[in-house]
Amino acid sequence: MKQYLKNTWEGIWTVLIGMKITFKHLFVPAVTIQYPDVKVPLPERVRNRLYVNMDDCIGCDQCARACPVSCIEIETVKSLPTEDLGKTSNGKKKALWVTKFNIDFAKCCYCQLCVFPCPTECIYMTDIYEFSEFKREGLLYNFSTLTHEEVLEKKANFEKFQAEKEAQKAAEAKAKAEVAAKTKESENKSDTGSNKSENG
Amino acid sequence: MYDFLVDLIGNEIIAAFISAALPVVFIVPFVIFGVLMERKVAGHMQDRLGPMRVGYHGILQTVADFFKLLQKEDIVADGIDKKFFNFAPYLVFAGSYAVYAALPFSSKYIGADIDLGIFYIIAVSGLVVAGILMAGWTSNNKYSLYGALRSAAQIVSYEIPTALIILSMVMLTGTLSLAEMSEMQTAYFWNWNIFGGAEWSFTKLLLIPFMFAGFLLFYISSLAEVNRTPFDMPEAESELVGGYHTEYSGIKFSMFFLAEYANMFAVSALVSVLFFGGYHSPIGYVGNTLGLEALIPFEQVFWFAAKGIFFVFVQMWLRWTLPRVRVDQLMTICWKYLIPYAFLNLLIIGIITLI
Amino acid sequence: MELYDLIFYFFAIVTVVSAFMVVTSKNIVHAGFNLLFTFFGVAGIYVLLGADFIAVVQLLVYVGGILILLLFGIMLTNKITSVELRTGTAHIIPAVIGVGIFWGALTAIVAFKTDWVEVNTASTESTTIIGLGNLLLTDYVLIFELLGILLLVALIGAASFARREIEELKD
Repeated sequence: MKQYLKNTWEGIWTVLIGMKITFKHLFVPAVTIQYPDVKVPLPERVRNRLYVNMDDCIGCDQCARACPVSCIEIETVKSLPTEDLGKTSNGKKKALWVTKFNIDFAKCCYCQLCVFPCPTECIYMTDIYEFSEFKREGLLYNFSTLTHEEVLEKKANFEKFQAEKEAQKAAEAKAKAEVAAKTKESENKSDTGSNKSENG
Repeated sequence: MYDFLVDLIGNEIIAAFISAALPVVFIVPFVIFGVLMERKVAGHMQDRLGPMRVGYHGILQTVADFFKLLQKEDIVADGIDKKFFNFAPYLVFAGSYAVYAALPFSSKYIGADIDLGIFYIIAVSGLVVAGILMAGWTSNNKYSLYGALRSAAQIVSYEIPTALIILSMVMLTGTLSLAEMSEMQTAYFWNWNIFGGAEWSFTKLLLIPFMFAGFLLFYISSLAEVNRTPFDMPEAESELVGGYHTEYSGIKFSMFFLAEYANMFAVSALVSVLFFGGYHSPIGYVGNTLGLEALIPFEQVFWFAAKGIFFVFVQMWLRWTLPRVRVDQLMTICWKYLIPYAFLNLLIIGIITLI
Repeated sequence: MELYDLIFYFFAIVTVVSAFMVVTSKNIVHAGFNLLFTFFGVAGIYVLLGADFIAVVQLLVYVGGILILLLFGIMLTNKITSVELRTGTAHIIPAVIGVGIFWGALTAIVAFKTDWVEVNTASTESTTIIGLGNLLLTDYVLIFELLGILLLVALIGAASFARREIEELKD
């Protein structure tokens, strides 16, 4: 009987204690952050969407090789000796046209491993984290500054240059061979010397 | 109200339909408000904000939800007993709607001023149980069936302490009519039944502790009757998906929702009528001081709604305070604690009434 | 048409149709649910007859108590849905004759033997509860108390059936 009354009393009393606590919480300011309107300040070294500053990119492909999930895809075309691509902000000379620089953020694991090898510090993490898309293709970001026509032009230029070079080389080789044949006839020189000159 | 409408329209049938439809004018806005209040109270008690997007501080959230529910597809799964499945939500709503017929909203408006008032209310809530059992069985879903069986067991058990407390109040006031019961507690708040009623004698002082006990017992068992936490096993989201309304969607689901909130207000109103003066103002009427007699019924509606909403708020408060009890604990609370105390209370109040 | 006629026909149709469904239904749960409407309709007719207390008791006891218990029993029984209920007519002619004679006899008794009292409908009291209460505690107090004892005995009996012995539990 004593236990019974004690149970009753405790039942009522503990409920009242609980109600007191919840009533106090009714007036505690809410901890909710109204997300799209108010955002939590991000920490300094936060890792979110990558950005590539194409002005500084030299197309060295080191970031693509560092990527553990192969989400970076780079294609480059050599520039002609006559073209001047300018310099990067830390003084490196650019020698390659970057015709393709795609990062697939559907694959990206935000590990930041691509950031460290970059010699010009042109690839880095930004604090943008709201970039969801309705289609997966929308997550494929193209950073290359060149248009499709320009890319074709650069490729054509390079091929032309290559072809010219080949032709020139062939012509030179031919000329050299002729010269060599002549000198072989006149003087008996060693084979190694002529090979060296051909290779050069 | 009915007589007034008959005079106004001149046709009995139309007047009857209008006067029968009047509680809807109260229930639907109350449900819209009540759901929002539930979510706001829940939010603030957990240091959150609750809905904030639709309208200023989310006040139109439930209106939006209501239209969403109306547009939703009415899913009837295979293997469901279609005829009764479609009927059950309306039966549940009819049961809780029928309770409003006997609730005195003010001295001028009461659906049916029958002398059996409170007895009738106990009786028609049986329809809700039948509807819930129907919904659970016809859903062809084991969780629904569990929910329905638990609900029925719970409501049937907790009807006993409720009825015993009501019986003691009936002994004290000598009437079953809720309107008369409210009229007895007129004027100021010290005339309320919880403070021993309007009669000034030494029994008034004697009654106060037993009235408080009666109020507690009644409130606890009424919580169980409307399936609110801590007695919400029938709906127990974490174990039974959604209980007896798992299979329902769209308009039928909203009927269950309407019924649940209508029930919550009905039992709160019952508490206020039995113990807290019903529609009477605790501090006197503005209409009396200004000399405007016509204002008083509106004030009474206000006080009735305010008291009802306060007890609905306490239900929500308890919901976010207490965890759900187990089924065996539920039965222990009812049969081993509430019923003996209710009997004791009945006995003592009976003796005091005889003095 | 008067309002009361409308309500009467509504309740009458509900009662008769659902009672018919109760006896013809092949599904025992359906029969149980239909019984609910029968009880409800009968309660409505009681109200129209001015017996509001009986109507409410009908709702309270039959709908809120007995029917729920019945449905509970059905739902807790194993394999209840697979039971084939025979509701077909086996011997239609003898059945019609038997029921017809019984019905005729009942109607004849009700129609000719009953001492009908004509009551002016306008003068019916709004409630029957005060009269009922007085009668129960004066003229019929013995029966009332005996019924109470009977119910108590039934309650104790049920409790002792339901309670398993402690020795049994130990096994």
